[in-house]
Amino acid sequence: MSEVYPLLETQEGLWFAQRLDAMNPLFNTGQLVHIQGALNMALFEQAVNQTLLEAEALHLQFREKDNGEVEQLATRSDPVKLELIDLSQVSDPDQAARNAIDHYTYSPDDPTADTLAVEQLFVLGGDRYIWYRRVHHLLIDGYGMTLLNNRVSELYRELVEEKPAGSPLGSYASVVADDANYRQSSQRGKAAEFWQQYMAGVPEVVSLANGRAVSVSRFHRQSQLLPAVLLNSLRQRADSAGLPWPDLVTALTAAYCQRFIGEEEIVVGVPYMGRMGNDSARVPAMIMNVLPLRIHEPLPEQGADAFFKTVARDMFRARRHGRYRSEQLRRDLGLLGGHRRLHGPLINVMPFEKPVRLSGVETELEILSTGPVDDMTFTFRGDGESRLLLEIDANPNLYSEADLQAHQRRLLSFIEACLQAGDAPLSSLPLATQEEQQKWIRSVNQTEQAVPDVSLPALMANCFARYADRPALTFAAEVGGTVQTLSYAELEQRTRALAQQLQQQLQTDGAGKDQLVLVSLPRSLELVIALLAVVRAGAAYLPIDPAHPDERIARIVGSAKPCLALIAEDQRARLTAVSGMPEALAPRQWQHSPDESQGSLPEVDPANLAYVIYTSGSTGEPKGVMIEHRAIVNRLEWMRTQYAFNERDRVLQKTPATFDVSVWEFFLPFISGAELVVAPPEAHKNPADIAALIRRFNISTLHFVPSMLNVFVAEPSAHGLAVQRVFCSGEELTQGLCERFHQTVSAELHNLYGPTEAAVDVSYWQAKPGDRRQPVPIGAPVWNTRLYVLDEQLRALPAGVTGELYLAGRQLARGYLGRDDLTEERFIPDPFVSGERMYKTGDLARWVEGGVAEDGVVEYLGRSDHQVKIRGLRIELGEIETVLMASGLVEQVGVLVQEGSAGQKLIVAYPVPAESYDETKLLAFARSRLPDYMVPVALVTLPSLPVTSNGKLDRRALPQPEMISPQGRAPIGETEIKLAALFSALLKLEDEISAESDFFALGGDSLLAVQLMQRIQVQFGMDPGLGALFENPVLAELASLIDAGHRETDNGLQPVIRLAQGNDNHVPLFVVHPAGGIAWCYRQLAALMSDERSVYGLQAPSLDQGQPLPESIDALAMTYVDHMLAICPDGPYHIMGWSVGGIIAQAMAVRLKQLGKPTGVIAMLDSYPSECWRAEAEPTAEEALGALLAIAGFIPEDYPELKTREHIVEFLRQSGSPLGALPPVVLDGVIRVVLDVNRLVRGHYHQFLDADLLHVCAALDHQDSELHPDLWKDYARQLDVVNVPFLHGQLTGPEASAQVADILLTRMKAVEQTTD
Amino acid sequence: MTAKLTLEDMRADIAEMVYDEPENIELDDNLMDLGLDSMRVMTLVERWDKKGVELDFTRIAERLTLRGWWELAQDAQGLSQ
Repeated sequence: MSEVYPLLETQEGLWFAQRLDAMNPLFNTGQLVHIQGALNMALFEQAVNQTLLEAEALHLQFREKDNGEVEQLATRSDPVKLELIDLSQVSDPDQAARNAIDHYTYSPDDPTADTLAVEQLFVLGGDRYIWYRRVHHLLIDGYGMTLLNNRVSELYRELVEEKPAGSPLGSYASVVADDANYRQSSQRGKAAEFWQQYMAGVPEVVSLANGRAVSVSRFHRQSQLLPAVLLNSLRQRADSAGLPWPDLVTALTAAYCQRFIGEEEIVVGVPYMGRMGNDSARVPAMIMNVLPLRIHEPLPEQGADAFFKTVARDMFRARRHGRYRSEQLRRDLGLLGGHRRLHGPLINVMPFEKPVRLSGVETELEILSTGPVDDMTFTFRGDGESRLLLEIDANPNLYSEADLQAHQRRLLSFIEACLQAGDAPLSSLPLATQEEQQKWIRSVNQTEQAVPDVSLPALMANCFARYADRPALTFAAEVGGTVQTLSYAELEQRTRALAQQLQQQLQTDGAGKDQLVLVSLPRSLELVIALLAVVRAGAAYLPIDPAHPDERIARIVGSAKPCLALIAEDQRARLTAVSGMPEALAPRQWQHSPDESQGSLPEVDPANLAYVIYTSGSTGEPKGVMIEHRAIVNRLEWMRTQYAFNERDRVLQKTPATFDVSVWEFFLPFISGAELVVAPPEAHKNPADIAALIRRFNISTLHFVPSMLNVFVAEPSAHGLAVQRVFCSGEELTQGLCERFHQTVSAELHNLYGPTEAAVDVSYWQAKPGDRRQPVPIGAPVWNTRLYVLDEQLRALPAGVTGELYLAGRQLARGYLGRDDLTEERFIPDPFVSGERMYKTGDLARWVEGGVAEDGVVEYLGRSDHQVKIRGLRIELGEIETVLMASGLVEQVGVLVQEGSAGQKLIVAYPVPAESYDETKLLAFARSRLPDYMVPVALVTLPSLPVTSNGKLDRRALPQPEMISPQGRAPIGETEIKLAALFSALLKLEDEISAESDFFALGGDSLLAVQLMQRIQVQFGMDPGLGALFENPVLAELASLIDAGHRETDNGLQPVIRLAQGNDNHVPLFVVHPAGGIAWCYRQLAALMSDERSVYGLQAPSLDQGQPLPESIDALAMTYVDHMLAICPDGPYHIMGWSVGGIIAQAMAVRLKQLGKPTGVIAMLDSYPSECWRAEAEPTAEEALGALLAIAGFIPEDYPELKTREHIVEFLRQSGSPLGALPPVVLDGVIRVVLDVNRLVRGHYHQFLDADLLHVCAALDHQDSELHPDLWKDYARQLDVVNVPFLHGQLTGPEASAQVADILLTRMKAVEQTTD
Repeated sequence: MTAKLTLEDMRADIAEMVYDEPENIELDDNLMDLGLDSMRVMTLVERWDKKGVELDFTRIAERLTLRGWWELAQDAQGLSQ
């Protein structure tokens, strides 16, 4: 006789999770009790079996009904019993028991088939036992396990001591009734309301690590018993704050998480037992619930008590509503689907858990697992008096063991400090441990290095003598023009001559200490001579960009008060008219030969200024940064040694002298014996010119700001260049740019970081090919330099926590010229080295473990003052720019936050359109890649982006936008109006929907597309099908389709599907399905081509179960060619296919040739000939199913947990893929095709194609494999290989599609021109 | 036999937990409605444990009235009801 119950609401979330991930053994909860002493085994067995009998839940089995409902059966026919396993005779009984336990613990159970509870007693001999229990989480929660333990001890005591035990455990039926009552109760309605309000305006959930928080089949654990003295202070502190101690523990741990995460508000999860005052209080069952707890950063002045009380009060209020299921709350808040979360780390305090008491024996309880671990769980077990155990469990995909250890140490040290600090504000306590402070302040900054304490001229003197006859300085006034070169000896003479002249002019006896000489010259030999001469004369140079407005120059001259100016002849009249301008010397007035009678130039004190460079201040008033010789000498000597510069180097000088990066370009060659090649004026803005200069002068080293590098790598003539080193600095270097760089240029790429205030650069990092770190680190400190990442109270932060970057050491500037106030504000005392200063950069950064010599490196995370928050969310404008660039639709783009009419913050993008530019497509692309709050609300196209004189984007010069307004005509007619209402309801748009609105461009995704189809079915009584929507996403088109009574359901699986409707003057592109038989994966590519030509997808006929499986690839190719001929009778035929699609494309082209038809571009996306596959093992059904994920746009390797067809379909449904919504019969078709493809490929033998074959190779894959495009050489007239920086699986993604579209469009045009 | 824990002791302890006067705690009031939660109940159970009256939290959690708790306390002290 067995009872049948519905699934409890409390079980639904777990049921769904385990269905998705049934092979995950973590759905088992387990514990063991170590027993030592004279256990009466017979009585113990009796007590346990009695308990098990009372615990109905342990006998549950589950079954799924045809309608999808799940029910549970409590069967009594074969009750769970204690198994006795005698290991006392084996050699290592402990190990044997462990092995058995591990086996059970790591074997997943099927809740519809298996026995879900196991209870065992391992007899180890010598009065030692292990009592083991494992129960599926659907049956029980942690509290339930405690109930079982308590009941066993009570019954055992009754038997042993003859003390009466209390009443038996409660009945499962009462839990079921209670669950049903709660579902109907007004209490639940109130709870829904409470949580809705509580969660209003909640920020996006962030945790202690970034990444997908989905449990895998194991977890890391770090446990530690809290010392008794800590427990004492914990309880005392709880008393003094007037709180239950568990609430205090939660509040302290939450405060720790908030500090570590660094957001003003975070959301943690806390458990609710859900049993108070109801019948389930004494029933083992799965009832517990985890709900969000919002934690705000404690106010700086707020006492700790006030913070603790706020947290305790919030929990107290929420506990009344703690039965409201978190799954339901996720649904209420629209957080289902994808990986949107309700909370970050879990804080689980379990004061109910007491030691297991068994009369007359010693016991020790060990909890093995408590269910899946998505992210990180902090569990505190014990009564808080005799014992409190901290267990940190974490998802190994997100955290390393080392992370856990660090969190454990840091959390305990934080708790300890808080407990000792009384009511002092929590903000007064450091987050980092002593050890971490030591590491991140001292160890990583051990950069002491002996550098000669000399001036720049002294450093150069050596090379002037040693390399006298070698070329020192070369200049071409035009890229291909005549060249002037000075030898080291000539350079020495010219600069000494001018230095002598300057000294006379400066009328000083000795060096012109700290006197400034203004230099305003175009790039030329004279510019270099001027700079060298000024420093040789003992003065400091002040570079001025003549392109700046007079007013700005006057302000600089007024504040810097230079004594003399070196000015180009053609600027002389204008500049000398600027007020305050000193006497000026133009190059033709300069002495060329030194007066040898004067002897050598006087020594220059390394404490003198070498240069003053003005940077723009945040207020708009330029600030003159004063750099001493000592500082820049350190920087140059470091660079020379670090990168081994020598006389064989040729450095390109292309950075304007007003940008401090130019300083190393100007001086490094002359301390290394290298040659400086000065680029023609303006050449630095032209990538083709730069490429030409590199080739012509065999440049070994040059510098780019990343935005220029981005333009440079897109320059065709830059391809294939080889130089020794490229340095980047001045802006954030992105990982994508590094990859593009390494695809284009063969060179080391070095990312340097530093403000003008610290002598050019203070940190360095080599961005190697294949390094996928994002962001690209700015690296470790250079010689005699310290990098500090500090919080607002100037305390060291641990690795991984964002703070502000401070710099200290020899390279710091003396300060701002004439602005002691600003100097004092930005150069503050170094709290870690007495008597030294540190510079406040205003940049956000964090240390990350590992890197150079495992010491840790710094990541730059943007400007603290440019940090943008919209709706409380931190936004990196650079990230938006990167995405827009990846669309391939823009040449350049800047993104800015502007204030809207209502004072709201709006993201505005300023694209410089590429040829293929299309506003709708760009926005659609952005929507496909960015969270909605990061998608620009306005686009303002510009012919070029305004840049500052240093070549950086000048954000302040960007114009105000006009807001995007809905365009196009209003919907007319019943169908359009109804459809517009559907669009706006589904897309949650308040604006008017125009008849020209594109469903996908408005933000529709595949899931919404499925919903749209369902609603159209309801409203219009017909289902045009997803395929029709893909083809006709524009409202008016879709409406006319409905009006035309498009009654045959187009499920998107027909043999030919039009993916894009383009200009009929161009022949279409045909794209051939990959392994799954479906060609939807090319939709993004097709959208990018739709301006120019139509794109047709060819799909496998055998998707239809009624159709036979094809005989061979060649037979398929014949069928597909017939389709092509029907659509486009004349050709030329452009065909492309991804993976298997490429094999078919080649066979189709062979067929076309046989028919005498003209072929166009025949392209394959990373396909390899069939002989590569013949030798491979047959794919498993599992692998074949992975293709389904790939079709839906997921990378199968990222989802190892999805193993069966059911998992995958369930996952696709959850993730919103239209595939998940396909009727089973269609999915069967896809699976049928997938499973058959292997047979086709193995049986295929390629024929020679008398035409060119284009192979687009996924260059990030196959680096170590046998697969190589050259394998096609024998099967085509000519093989043309283009490498793109993607993995095979990414080739139809948005970024790759943009590149592939470019490649194909260019080639198709070229082919058509030659055919015409 | 004198009780280690009397009804009035319990009433006073509960009142303290919910910031109220003992006379306001009726025998059959739902103590959750008065503001007790699991953490506070735990605290009470521990307090009474120290007085030598060992109450089972799981049984305490089952019935949330002073009357119910007093019955458990009488059992635990071997007092007849």
